[in-house]
Order: sequence, then structure tokens, then C-alpha cells
Amino acid sequence: MRIAKIVVALLVILIAATLYILPNKKPDTHLVEFTAPFVFGRFTIPENNPLTQESVLLGRRLFYDPLLSSNNQVSCATCHKQALAFTDGLKTSVGVSGVPLAFNAMSLVNLMWGPRHFFWDGRSSSLENQAIQPIKHVDEMGRNIDELIVVLKQDDTYTKLFKQAFGEISEQGIAKALASFQRTLISSNSRYDQYLRGEITLSSKEELGRKLFMAHPDTKVILRGGNCIDCHSQFLTSGFGTAFDGFSNNGLDNDQTLQAGLFSLTKKEVHRGLFKAPTLRNIAVTSPYMHDGRFATLKDVLAHYNGGIKRSKTLSPLIIEADNIVKTQNDHISLNLNDTEITAIIAFLHTLTDKEFLANRAFSNPFMEENNHD
Amino acid sequence: MTKSNKLTVIFSLLIIAIGVVAVTVWLRSLPQDLTLRFHPYVGDKPLVLHDQTYKNPGGKGNFSIRDFQLFISNIVVGYSSSSIREQDSYHLVRFDGDTTFDQIIIPEVKIQNLESLSLGIGVDPKANGTIMFSGDLDPNSRMAWNWQVGYKFLLLEGMLTVQNEQQPLVYHIGFDESYTELNFDLSNEEISNDGVIDFKIDLLRLFQINSSHLNELTNQQSSEAIKYIDMSELSHVKFSPDDVRIIAKGFHDFISIL
Repeated sequence: MRIAKIVVALLVILIAATLYILPNKKPDTHLVEFTAPFVFGRFTIPENNPLTQESVLLGRRLFYDPLLSSNNQVSCATCHKQALAFTDGLKTSVGVSGVPLAFNAMSLVNLMWGPRHFFWDGRSSSLENQAIQPIKHVDEMGRNIDELIVVLKQDDTYTKLFKQAFGEISEQGIAKALASFQRTLISSNSRYDQYLRGEITLSSKEELGRKLFMAHPDTKVILRGGNCIDCHSQFLTSGFGTAFDGFSNNGLDNDQTLQAGLFSLTKKEVHRGLFKAPTLRNIAVTSPYMHDGRFATLKDVLAHYNGGIKRSKTLSPLIIEADNIVKTQNDHISLNLNDTEITAIIAFLHTLTDKEFLANRAFSNPFMEENNHD
Repeated sequence: MTKSNKLTVIFSLLIIAIGVVAVTVWLRSLPQDLTLRFHPYVGDKPLVLHDQTYKNPGGKGNFSIRDFQLFISNIVVGYSSSSIREQDSYHLVRFDGDTTFDQIIIPEVKIQNLESLSLGIGVDPKANGTIMFSGDLDPNSRMAWNWQVGYKFLLLEGMLTVQNEQQPLVYHIGFDESYTELNFDLSNEEISNDGVIDFKIDLLRLFQINSSHLNELTNQQSSEAIKYIDMSELSHVKFSPDDVRIIAKGFHDFISIL
């Protein structure tokens, strides 16, 4: 009798332990192997969201799935199209409500490097946090997360993919998977990258543009410059990664029309009108430009820096000071570049287009692939 | 209380006191964090970014500072017969944080018997000529020009206002020859138990025409009145070697122990 009791007790413990361990068992995941040029520098991946193949697979599906929106018609990819370096070609994006959003869709590329603050106004401090915002936003995807989780749980494929990546379906898992997929969006095979690796030479026009891009003008030593480097780093071409160094007021508005920008995060007046300096990788395919998409072409952008700057109290002194002719007065702010130089800078910007990235099947719509297989 | 009881109490207190002193001395001899704390000043006034204005030292008008960053590198702590060099010793010191100072913490340093400390302002020529990532050196940062030019050792940006006319101030000081090593004698300095050494960084030193360093070299009287540059005459310094030299000369007097 006594032995029977012990056996029963042991069985009960065993069953209880199994019931406890099984759902809490960490899934068997595999880290993603990737390469990036060493000139991109250090990067960090959050300890609680390792970059796993399972998470990226799930994230890619979520990214392209309109199920994430309230009307089942808008996915992340609606505003972030691969062929346009994950932008949408619109002045400002339009989501489920049909109301144009406040901002132009940002390109999603090399997100492990550059500013650690996301969105044009830096309001999000991690990719995980960023990824969930558009889903909830009433005008973007307008989806209640709890309802989304219910829907995902009814889907066998998602149940399986979440189980493989995280164990169970949760808001955190959705955010982590989307962030992981976005971390894999690395562009490093543009003509500029090939030039940096010593594989090709740039044309004389592109080379002139590169030199101008990399120089702050100094009339005292007859150094002509486009002043791009003051906000866009030499290799990443993004804003700078340290603190808020990657944010700048580049003279789009005067004090009367100055928008909040970084101020909405920090509540510091000195940050009013400062926006994130975006990466310039694939810039030739990501028109229109600026946080509100006000410039349709790169020529318009260069025209802005070459005489269109508006003065305001937080305007960068670097922009006021940068001039290719000796300054005689401070009223009119311009780089005073000539037409040849402007064309050269635009030619250099075109070397940042990475065709391989724009067509990389690892980043494409997985549903299309599934349909093709059917 | 009997006399023997009194003696016992006194004796016990004495033992405890000796114990406390012994533990303190022992703790001080253990390696601990050495903190180099830098306080920015404009002359004798603390530097407050954005809001505070200061008098143009050599001319008319007032100026304000928006950004101030510099590289401190190659920190070496010296004892009577040995010295220790910090690894990957490239620190970006900047003053836009939530404190009035910025600091560098060097772990595991024996504070006791520390006799000297040396550091470089800027980036030594070897590191300045590479695109390696070491310490705070980052070729994709705001302090990098481009790989052909190297790093800004000091970045100082602001605005000079003379009779309602605004003039941007841009001082991006680099170039190998500007790299300046400073040595501090700590043998007579009392370093607090928390291992903090306070330094003053005085922006006005950059605008001195006759630095005390030059005075020493030329045996001039250091009591001679210091003359300053008119900022409106030299409002931006970037690549002109002569101008860079004028500002970088001030590095010799730039940092002092508070």
C-alpha cells in the first residue's frame, strides 16, 4: 500500500512538472548569421531579443501581413515597400483611416547602427517599442493588440511560428519578431560600398560629389564643401549615434512655423524643430524628402541647402556658417555651390543605391512566395 | 562605574578607533575607481549651455555655447617607480548631459601613493590616422571629419551677438600637431576617499593671445595682463592651419586641477 502511495505521489509530481515545464520550455532557436562592413562600427542587439532565425521568419511574415490592421488591408509593407528601400513614395503615409499622417515613411535600413532613437522625432528608444506603435496608431493600422493576439491564435501557421520563436503569442513577441526582421535589413553593396572595398572606382563626377559630401567648406583654405558630413556620417550616411547628435534643425521652417520635432520627446526648447538626420542609403529611390516629404526631388533638397534655408532660434550654427564664398552678411544663408557641384553631389548620392538590397528575396513578401509555390 | 570598568570601556573604544583607522587605510590601499571629473568654465563662471551668455573676451558683444565636446586620451597614472596606461584610452567628454560636469571613470586604480597623471587633449596621430573603433573613437560620429582628415579634437559651437547681429561660432579643432599632452603633479594633491579628482576646463584659455605656456617659454612675467582674441574676428576655425594653431595653443593651459 505504502509503495503504491509513493508511486502515485511520484506520478502526480511528474505530471505536474511536465505540465509546468512544457509550456515554459524555451524553444530551440538558432542565431542568424550575418555580415556587415566593419566601417559600420559597433552594434547592439538587446539581450532579451537575440536575433534568431525563428524570430526573423515570424517577423517577416508579420511585416507583410495586413491582418495586423483593423481593416485587414494595411500591413507594415504598405508604407515600407522594399523596392523603395522600405518607403512608400508618398509625401506622408496613409493608413486605415485614410487621413494623411504627420510624417513621411522612413526608410528601414541598417537599423542596428546610427541613432538609438526611432521615428523622425526620436520618440521611441528601441526597435521593439517602435514596431508596435504603428499597429496601435488609430490612423496607421488601428489594431487593438489584444484582438490581434486572439486572431493570431486562431491561425495555425502563426501558432507554430510563435511557438518556435518565443513559446507563445504575445504583444512582446510581436514586437520582438518585427524588430528582429528589421535588424536583418542590411544594405552594404551599393557602388559606394564597392568603392570603399576598393572594387570599383567612381566616375570623376561622382568622385567630386563624394569629396563635396565629405567636406565642411572653408573659404580660408579654398576648401569647397557640400557640408553633408556635418549631419550624415561618412560610412553609414545616417545621423550620428551618440546621444542626440543625430538630430538637427536643417532650416526647413522659421520660428513661426517650427514644428516640435525632438522637443516632443525631451520637452527641451533647444530641441524644438530638430529632426532625425535619416540614412542616405538608397536615397535616390526614397523620394519625396524630409520629415514631411516637402521636397519631391534631390535637386529640390540641394536647392534648399543652396539658398532656401529659413532662420529659426534652434537652426544649426553649422548651417548658417557653411558657405563656399566669403560671407559678407548673415541674412541670406546658402552653401553657394555651383551647378556642376550640385549635379556632382546628386551623382554621388546615386552611388548609395544598393540594387541587391532592393531585390533581396530574404526581405520580400513571404506570402507571394507561398502563392508561387502553390 | 568602577575604575576597572571605565578602563575597559576606554580600552574598547580605543581598539575600535584603531580598527576603523586600519580598515580605512587598508581600503584606501585597495584598487578602486579613479574618477576624473571635468567642470566646464568660461573664465571664473561655470559654463551653462544655451541659456547663459558670456562677454566676448577680446571684443564687443556676448556669446552663448550650444555644444562643447572634446577628446581626452591616453590617460597614464604614475607612482614613484611605475606607471599604468589605460587601455583603449579615448574618451569623448561632453557637457550636454543632466549634470554640470562630465567624468571619466578608470576602474581598479590604487589611489594611495598616486603621484602623477597625464592625459592628451585630442587624438594621438597614430589613432587619428585610422578608422579603427577604440574607446569612444567612432568614424561615424559627429567628431569624425572623414577618413582623410581624421577627428575633431574639440568641437565648440555657439552664437556671438553684437548689437543684435548674430554671428555663428564654429570651432572644430583637429590636426595631428594640435595633439597636446598635459601632466599633472598629484604628489601634493589630496584625493578624496571616493577617488575623485576635479578638473576645470576653461574655454577662455582657447582665446588667449599670450598663454602662460608661452610666457614660460619666453621667460616673460606671467603677471602680464592676458590679451584675448576678438571672437568676431575669428568666429570660425576649421581647416586653416594658422587659425587652428592659434586656438590649439590654448590646450596647454586648458585643463587645471580645481
